[in-house]
Amino acid sequence: MATLPEEIKAAMQGVIPSHVVTCARDGTPNATAISQVYWVDPEHVALSHQFFNKTVRNVRENPRALAWLINPQTFDAWDLEIEFDHAETSGPIFDALDMQIEAIASLVGLKGVFKLKSADIYRVISVTKNVAERIPLPDIVEPGGER
Amino acid sequence: MIPDRVAEVLSGPAIMLAGTRDAALRGAHTTVVGAIVHDDRRTVTFFVPESRAARLLSDLRDNGRVAFGFGSLSHEAYQLKGTYLSSRPTTDADLAQQEAYRTKLVAAFRQVYPEEIARPLALGYAYHPAVAVTFRVDEVFLQTPGPGAGTRMA
Repeated sequence: MATLPEEIKAAMQGVIPSHVVTCARDGTPNATAISQVYWVDPEHVALSHQFFNKTVRNVRENPRALAWLINPQTFDAWDLEIEFDHAETSGPIFDALDMQIEAIASLVGLKGVFKLKSADIYRVISVTKNVAERIPLPDIVEPGGER
Repeated sequence: MIPDRVAEVLSGPAIMLAGTRDAALRGAHTTVVGAIVHDDRRTVTFFVPESRAARLLSDLRDNGRVAFGFGSLSHEAYQLKGTYLSSRPTTDADLAQQEAYRTKLVAAFRQVYPEEIARPLALGYAYHPAVAVTFRVDEVFLQTPGPGAGTRMA
């Protein structure tokens, strides 16, 4: 079990979508974008379950998953190894996710498309801040001139 | 195999990611910086920075299974699942492809993000030197958020 650092919270605001990779029991990986990874406490995160999609099906047969998050201010990216623990269909975490989903859906013009079925709670197994991923911007010349 | 519309979205601007797994069925994520659909419409080559390629290549050489997700900023998204064929260092032609990808991406990000996010998000990610990874597409899935997400298209 790992502990999430405070600085990762900025990457959990839903400003930039996160990615999740899971794997079916037969060994087929699944890679998808999700709107947000939610902070539950320093050892747990939550993912929303709106549709019975492949991510949801996979973690119920193979609980390990990998979540990738990016901080919209520093652009530091993080890999979280997580393990599905349980699903909550009511309570404060469910309500908070429900409200967030509706807010994000409104912002992107998808209001009413998403109906939260459960807040899926995951244990955090490891936290890795990715290094050597960024390059300095001033060296980049875009078409039409350097910005 | 790969429908026209799916190939069109893959040509960008699109956000791209690769998912692989190890022998213990633990998933791994790699951000992708550009991709091309080959003329046979059955094979795809995508580009990953060398700095992030080790786990991906290790997984692919172990079991060959790859999931390749991509989506436009309008949330139209697809996922290709397939089998690893080969990898090699990128060429000048690949680099040109990546540069074109980045140019499209920053223009698209500027439609939805302020400049202080759009530019570093599109252009601040390491992309060269890179590895070109080619895989055979076995399945194509709709991934656009909604009740149809996960529908097999081909």
